[in-house]
Amino acid sequence: MGGVPRSTIAPGDRTSAGVNPYRPWPARITSIIDLTPQEKLFELRLIDEGARAAFDFDSGQFVELSIFGVGEAPISISSAPSKQGFIELCVRNAGDVTGALHRKQCGDVVGLRGPFGRGFPFEEMKGHDVLLVAGGLGIAPLKSLINHIHDDRHDFGNVTILYGARSPAEILFRYQFDGWKHRDDFDLILTVDHPDDTWEGDVGLVTRLFDKIEVDPANAFGAICGPPVMYKYVIAEMRKKDMDVDRIYVSFERRMKCGVGKCGHCGVGHQYTCIDGPVFNYWEAMNLQEAI
Amino acid sequence: MFFRMIEKERLPDLIRGLSTEFEVVGPVAKGDKFVFAPIDDPADMRLDYDTTILPPKKWFFPPEETMMRFRVADNEVVDDEVYAPPRVLFGLHPCDINSLQLMDNVFFGAYIDPYYRARRENTLIVGLSCVPSETCFCNAWGTDEAHWGFDIFLSDVGDEYFASIRSVSGAELVDRHVKTREITDNDTRRFQERTAAFKAAFENHVDTSQLPLLIDAKFESPIWDQLGEKCLACGACSMVCPTCYCYDVHDELEPDQTMGRRVRTWDSCQFKDFAAVAHGQNFRDSRASRIKYRYYHKQWGYLSKFERVLCVGCGRCSRACKAGINPVKVIEALQTGVVS
Repeated sequence: MGGVPRSTIAPGDRTSAGVNPYRPWPARITSIIDLTPQEKLFELRLIDEGARAAFDFDSGQFVELSIFGVGEAPISISSAPSKQGFIELCVRNAGDVTGALHRKQCGDVVGLRGPFGRGFPFEEMKGHDVLLVAGGLGIAPLKSLINHIHDDRHDFGNVTILYGARSPAEILFRYQFDGWKHRDDFDLILTVDHPDDTWEGDVGLVTRLFDKIEVDPANAFGAICGPPVMYKYVIAEMRKKDMDVDRIYVSFERRMKCGVGKCGHCGVGHQYTCIDGPVFNYWEAMNLQEAI
Repeated sequence: MFFRMIEKERLPDLIRGLSTEFEVVGPVAKGDKFVFAPIDDPADMRLDYDTTILPPKKWFFPPEETMMRFRVADNEVVDDEVYAPPRVLFGLHPCDINSLQLMDNVFFGAYIDPYYRARRENTLIVGLSCVPSETCFCNAWGTDEAHWGFDIFLSDVGDEYFASIRSVSGAELVDRHVKTREITDNDTRRFQERTAAFKAAFENHVDTSQLPLLIDAKFESPIWDQLGEKCLACGACSMVCPTCYCYDVHDELEPDQTMGRRVRTWDSCQFKDFAAVAHGQNFRDSRASRIKYRYYHKQWGYLSKFERVLCVGCGRCSRACKAGINPVKVIEALQTGVVS
């Protein structure tokens, strides 16, 4: 017998880890855009060429952003999978890690792990209409899906985007959405709770915009992301339009600390947000206690 | 599997033999309780122990461990190696052997936890039969028996052990270090009699009928508010639980702030900020919601993935709880709707 004991643990596979799933890859910040006073858009590139080439993700997936000495935070990817070689993260300055990220400069190195979780069913959505509803920072993961659809636009039917923010100054990606106002291949409606003197768009909650849109329930997928309180109201509007429960997709924010289904912090009902979500269809979400 | 008989008075030979190749960890007395600790002298081993304060999980998943050391300036990992000395855990009861299999489901799987894995692969398990205590209810889950997950299992049949040998390592170590004899039909009969006496000795008989379904159907039951009123949210139940695996991660900087380590520590879903997110939202703010989640995850969440309940009925949580919350009573309350 050698130095390493051979032990019979349990029937089942015990394959080699190969890599440490907790070890972040160094990534360089290659662009920073101030979106609002609280939110910045960071473009990140993995420094290791092999890791960069292998980094393949779905819209709705997230990464663990790592700043050694401060910690890690789960952040959803805002750029589209159709754009390779970099990812964009839209980050609100809301905690220790995101605060430390906001103090970083272009060229600085941070750590990334991922991508993690289950994203939106892009392939299933193809050939269908898509209704995307975002509230506040919830636009961050949906932006990835929106841009992915944009890059494959001919594969989709009608695409409608409803996006609510507190005020005009808090609308994220406004530079893109302003440019889309006159496009006829995306129906985009922005609304704010608190308009300013320059605001010419809608005022009020995002749910009020449902009076303005037509939905073909036999053909439409829904995608929702926003503050926790928003989901049940938006889902109710989609159900009023007779959309199927298993074609309405929601993305949840929980405390995904490890990202790999072990630390337990992101439990929602009987599932873990990090590996079973963060995107669930509404049928699944209805079966998750305390989810909505 | 094959079987050998080992005379009880020869068991120290095996322990001494193992000590020449491994660090041997076994049950020893600590005050009027027991703990798993490294053994120098086989005579220190208390094979008559009822249960230990902490479960064996700490030898695979320590209360605190360094995941990696890092350099701040370039955000680089300096090392992420795991210290995993060859070790034998001696004298584990069937509940604890089963608990390690439940932990394996979490720490292996799609993403393999390299720290847990290194220790698990470098550790041999020697199991030991037991006598049910007043807090034991492993009979509820079938975890009163261990069919695999050990290298050697010793069943006490009087003046001898009926030894079940599962692994090549276990067989080699037995051959090398202790005199044995072949089993006879009579030995197997003694083993069966011992098992029957063991099964008959349980004081607790938990009604687990339809539990995963009931815990969902009765999610709004007032029993959780009543238990929430009692619970101190101290997290002791999680710390002593052989199947609780939740952890927290934080970074610690060295005094000069240039280097540091990323550390993980045991955590508990009973702590107030366990499910809190950055924007001030806390998904389980009340004690009632947290104690409910603990049971919900053990009885249904984990089961929905791995087809087993995340409890082995060891009774450590009922011994540790200062508020007198006892899983046998909680399950009874779920069945009857009355908290006793």
